[in-house]
Amino acid sequence: MGNKVAIIAANGGMFDAYKVFNIATAAAASDAEVGIFFTFEGLNLIHQKALRQLPMPAGTEHFADGFAKANVPPIPELVNMARELGVKIIACQMTMDVMGLKLEDLIEGTEVGGAASFIDFAKDANISLSF
Amino acid sequence: MNADKQLDAKGLACPMPIVRTKQAIDELAPGQILEVQATDKGARNDLSAWANSTGHKLLESREENGILTFWIQKK
Repeated sequence: MGNKVAIIAANGGMFDAYKVFNIATAAAASDAEVGIFFTFEGLNLIHQKALRQLPMPAGTEHFADGFAKANVPPIPELVNMARELGVKIIACQMTMDVMGLKLEDLIEGTEVGGAASFIDFAKDANISLSF
Repeated sequence: MNADKQLDAKGLACPMPIVRTKQAIDELAPGQILEVQATDKGARNDLSAWANSTGHKLLESREENGILTFWIQKK
């Protein structure tokens, strides 16, 4: 029986992006059904412009070398991979309105929904994560 | 061991060895064997866990000069 993974992404830094998309792509590659609900600053992770320049937490800039040395894939590549693997991307309508974001600002394939959409997706998920 | 397909995942960091393995195995027919080479140290446990999750069979793994090689049979 397949796993179903429901993820809430509520933070918008580079480290947050790695946590969300590494777990999501690994789960999807392991044949799980995966959905991510992006809300508040988490919307940065699927914002076409913002996702290319996500900030590292203050004081961790020295990790930039480590990222390069470890050959960690860039965030845009992980985002594309997640989409190719069929990860469902849900953007929170209410926070989009608060932040003045339109659907066309977000990556292709994004669905817009409210909390109830996520709950409906997550109701039979056997793995639920929040980042 | 004879493989039907080879995947070079050397130099790739997590989660890419798993993602590339999934994509490669999708192109095989049931019973065929995929050979994966990786240098990510996490791949040793990850490939085994991935096989466990997906039901594909990890037939053998080997480490030589820092290169991990896995043979996986598609279910």
